[in-house]
Amino acid sequence: MSGPVRSRLREAAGTLCLTASPQRAIRERNASAWLLPEDGARFDHRLVEGMRRFDDTDEVDLVVVGCGAGGATLTQRMAHAGWSVVCLEAGPFWDPDTHWVSDEAGSHHLYWTEPRVISGTDPVPMGSNNSGRGVGGSTVHFAGFVPRFHPSDFSTFTDDGVGADWPIRYEDLRPSYERIEQELPVAGQYWPWGDPHPYPYAPHPVGGNGEILLRGAAALGIRARVGPVAITNGRFGNRPHCIYRGFCLQGCKVNAKASTLITHVPDALAHGAEIRTQAMAVAVETDAEGRRAIGVRYLRNGREHLQRARTVAVAGYSVETPRLLLNSANRRFPDGLCNDHDQVGRYLMVQGAPQTAGRFEEEIRAYKAPPPEVTSEDFYETDPTNGFKRGYAIQTVSPLPITWAEHVAAQGHWGHDLRRYMQDYIHWATLGALCELLPQPGNRVTLSDEKDRHGLPVADFSYSQCDNDRAVIRAARATMERILRAAGATEVITIERYAHLVGGCRMAAGPEQGVVDADLRTFAVPNLLITDGSVLPTQGSANPALTIMAVVDRAARRLADGARSGLRSPYERSLP
Amino acid sequence: MRRLPTGRRVPSGETGARFPNFDALDQVDAWDPATAATVVGRLARQPDLRFFTPAEEATAGALLDRLLAQDGPPGEPKVPVLQMVDARLAEAQTDGWRYHDMPEDGDAWRATLAALDRDAADEYEADSFADLTCDRQKRLVRAVQDLHGKPWHGLPAAHVWSLWTRYACTAFYARPYAWNEIGFPGPAYPRGYARLGIGLREPFEEADADPTADPADRKGTG
Repeated sequence: MSGPVRSRLREAAGTLCLTASPQRAIRERNASAWLLPEDGARFDHRLVEGMRRFDDTDEVDLVVVGCGAGGATLTQRMAHAGWSVVCLEAGPFWDPDTHWVSDEAGSHHLYWTEPRVISGTDPVPMGSNNSGRGVGGSTVHFAGFVPRFHPSDFSTFTDDGVGADWPIRYEDLRPSYERIEQELPVAGQYWPWGDPHPYPYAPHPVGGNGEILLRGAAALGIRARVGPVAITNGRFGNRPHCIYRGFCLQGCKVNAKASTLITHVPDALAHGAEIRTQAMAVAVETDAEGRRAIGVRYLRNGREHLQRARTVAVAGYSVETPRLLLNSANRRFPDGLCNDHDQVGRYLMVQGAPQTAGRFEEEIRAYKAPPPEVTSEDFYETDPTNGFKRGYAIQTVSPLPITWAEHVAAQGHWGHDLRRYMQDYIHWATLGALCELLPQPGNRVTLSDEKDRHGLPVADFSYSQCDNDRAVIRAARATMERILRAAGATEVITIERYAHLVGGCRMAAGPEQGVVDADLRTFAVPNLLITDGSVLPTQGSANPALTIMAVVDRAARRLADGARSGLRSPYERSLP
Repeated sequence: MRRLPTGRRVPSGETGARFPNFDALDQVDAWDPATAATVVGRLARQPDLRFFTPAEEATAGALLDRLLAQDGPPGEPKVPVLQMVDARLAEAQTDGWRYHDMPEDGDAWRATLAALDRDAADEYEADSFADLTCDRQKRLVRAVQDLHGKPWHGLPAAHVWSLWTRYACTAFYARPYAWNEIGFPGPAYPRGYARLGIGLREPFEEADADPTADPADRKGTG
């Protein structure tokens, strides 16, 4: 048997083994998909009405700040393990049926729109692609694209002299990746890049935009694959099949695209967790000496409360988590909680995400099917023939009219010129790159002089690119233009933008290099964890949501396993 | 549902040459109630102006009309972008961020409208940007665009450009009028799409009447 045949058989066997395996183990671990209604409604309101409610004076086992990718996953895992958990969420408890609309402008409330300041030489606009609000957080409006990180992402400093090494290896995360991929669940072709692996569901049918990427890539000998998307393809529990309406970024009214609102919150509620919405965290409180966290102060209905807890986890994402720690300064931590070594808020990362669109005489109608559907990771790794380290991934992106108009206008088109471009909308196929930009200490969150309506200083997010960043973005742009031309585009335009956020409170081997250890415990306060994307030391060229959920899944297991051994300091554990 | 009196074409400016018989609102019965209420509600009478002063109203109206080419004859109906932007600013519905070298959005709009009036006075001795001819207005707008990263009346021109175009595009392309012009069917729940792929259309999607019309090489013409 030849090599390619053998590897194809291995791919087929791996896929069959996963897609045909019974779902009992998944359901026992997380029954969320089976706790959704069967009658066409998208959320069972009885779960919220009957939710266990704690008192502020109850010292719960765990209070979590933020109910997004990280916070909801931790809440579900620990409630499932028998812990009493309160999750504080600044936004509302969404009802997909009545709160979400199949409309771009009508979805503005899904984003975190409280004031923030952006600065640096390459400031990063916030909002729709990187900041969520309400139960589900930004998974409500993420595209559902969930590739894994590559093994090389965990040792970029050792391998290439750039970025940072993680205190864990890829192998430490693999079981978590597999668990989360089953729970979302993920649909896609067998994945040939990084650590090759199958997905539990078959790939979705491809829309016009995806066909263009497949066509262009094939012409150039570039490998491209369909998926991986966290969108049901076939039935999963009471989650229905995708209907390809294209409004993934506006909240999935179908319940086909995963958000933690439907993938982890129902099971958390069924296991006695309380998700307390409209609760804006003000500060993490510690005892007088700053040795341990005692709870979280928060504002709700205009009054300040303190929820007491034995363990505190902050999951507000890369801007709000550092902001909360900096706003939690006290006598022991005058420069911000856990900020003894000036690490809080630093090494914040975004991905360079240039979008290149090509014009085709055929009708593409990119607004149908999931916006990111087809991808290539052929350029993910460091290539010694390039003049830069690390790389990029290429995906389809399918902007709806308002987003597309803003992009066209950002290119300098306005007036009749803009209107003419827009009338041509259905003829354009758009590719987006995710370029790995390097973590830098100066890219960070600090507190601005400006205050929000709660009277809390708002975050100032400063961002500047380095030379390697600019080189990766240039290369990605050239490759996308090549692919579109090879697919037959008569004109191409590229706009510069960013996507995603990670870092800001990174995990590291020691307190001088980061804020949390490999188990996501802060070095400074042993019963305080950070369980969101801010702990990632590097970001690869992959969309971060899956990896955020995987590191939290791993940390939750370690937390639950260690529960009976009492409070432990990471310093003590590192002793022989 | 009774047909909504919206008309098929985008009022003013363009002619609807590409999708002459297409109306996204034909499908309103196929939309879920929450979405239909949002989109149809957007067609209702706009709230009265609350944010802009009369001088700002005149300048903002002219600026938005130039940016979006809503320059049909007086009295012709148009997308009420001025009212939509005013409502957004009155409610401080921002995108959740501002550049450190720009004021909050509301103040930034006031400052830049005043700056346009100053340019109108300096260049053409006019009392208001709104008093200029269309061509002169376009010339002043283009001058701001051409500054790119350089300062304009103390603000970075590129960030001013971003502010104006974001608010203008978000309002204009939220309307079924604009969707009709570009062949976009709008909401798609609970119906979804069954025909995915290049060149495939649902029965309610209309073919482009002029698929070879390529807008290339007309950049910056206003």
